[in-house]
Amino acid sequence: MNIEQTVSGLILELRRGTLILLVLSQLRQPMYGYSLVKKLNDHGIPMDANTLYPLMRRLEGQGLLSSQWDTGEAKPRKYYRITPDGLMVLEKTKEYWKTFSTNVDELLGEKHESGSD
Amino acid sequence: MNQDLIERYLYAVTKRMPRKQREDVSQELRGLIDDMLAERCGGLTPTEKDVRVVLTELGTPQELSEKYDENETRCLIGQPYYGTYVFVMKIVMICTAVGLTLSSAILQIMEPQVWYAAVGQWLSMLWQGLLSAFAIVTALFAFFYQKGIRIREPFSFDDLPPVPKKNQEIPKWECIVGIGISVVFTTVFLAAPQIFCVILRGSRWIPIFDAAVIHSTWYIILLFAACGISRELVKLMEGRYNKTVMLAVAAADVISAVLSFWWLAGFPLVNPEFTVEISALFGEEEVFITGIFSHFQYFFLGILLFALTLDTVDTLVKTLRD
Repeated sequence: MNIEQTVSGLILELRRGTLILLVLSQLRQPMYGYSLVKKLNDHGIPMDANTLYPLMRRLEGQGLLSSQWDTGEAKPRKYYRITPDGLMVLEKTKEYWKTFSTNVDELLGEKHESGSD
Repeated sequence: MNQDLIERYLYAVTKRMPRKQREDVSQELRGLIDDMLAERCGGLTPTEKDVRVVLTELGTPQELSEKYDENETRCLIGQPYYGTYVFVMKIVMICTAVGLTLSSAILQIMEPQVWYAAVGQWLSMLWQGLLSAFAIVTALFAFFYQKGIRIREPFSFDDLPPVPKKNQEIPKWECIVGIGISVVFTTVFLAAPQIFCVILRGSRWIPIFDAAVIHSTWYIILLFAACGISRELVKLMEGRYNKTVMLAVAAADVISAVLSFWWLAGFPLVNPEFTVEISALFGEEEVFITGIFSHFQYFFLGILLFALTLDTVDTLVKTLRD
């Protein structure tokens, strides 16, 4: 078995849903793609622009985000923000995430204590 | 120069997108690349190498455009049909090859040619036949799969069918034999209709069908085969007699009956020489035999309609049993 490959596959699956949650949470304020990439990076959540841009577009297609071009500045930029529907989805998912992550932590911690520690 | 590379990259990423989306995505990515270059170079003017590094970071155009197009149902034939598709494809391919080889052998016996001409004809028949068979099976499954996606009903535990009793199950071999017969019959009929012949006195044989007319009605024969295969496919997918199978069989049989009628009553399929020879052979007094042969098409149509009716009734009975 290729350990590295299995681990990176698992991490990819773990990240997939979590990243959507994070993107929705950050877009309560309108932001353009690259500023969001940098913000997430600054908080230790590396996310490639080539993942984020298509993702935001998909979320917009689902009605969770809306977008608007700002052509007032030197560079035209597309700003995304969360929609009322997106906000509802975010609140519910966040609630689930809190309970879920606490429980996961607890179980993982237990495993850790009974191990080599 | 740099801008040109960027534009070529953006074109490659967006060329397969819907027109409306293309310009918007290009514009957005252009801004992104600009931001990434600014971050990388600070106040300096980006060199071509910088552009290449940034574009490499974004991934190949294909990778990036695939990320914009993550639609799971976008395939021609997916689960749960894919497994059956491969299975049926194998059966149909094997039967087509067998049928065509058989036809070649028949043709060689009836109209002998030099061996290399015969082999050449056999290979070209195989190539055409296998290609058509592949296309028909793929088209049928694509149709079922795409239809199936749309008509998938919401699931409820109450709708789970009871485990079929032994006599309600449709044995797999029955479907395989059904498909096999359809395919072999179709290939032989299309490639060597001469197989249906009557031998008159010694080695003189006379074909029942007019090969040229048969060949000119190839599309009806293929539709007939497609009907037969579809009927078996539904049985294979369902695995038991139920309403779906019953309706599918009835529909396939009705369409087959219409096709048979169109084919046998609408085209002069019988070899004119055949009717003449038969009358001459049996003479005026054998009214019954000459009657059958001089109206051979209607006789054949009668047999087909009878078989189709029997099939529908048989399925109906098996479905309604207990």
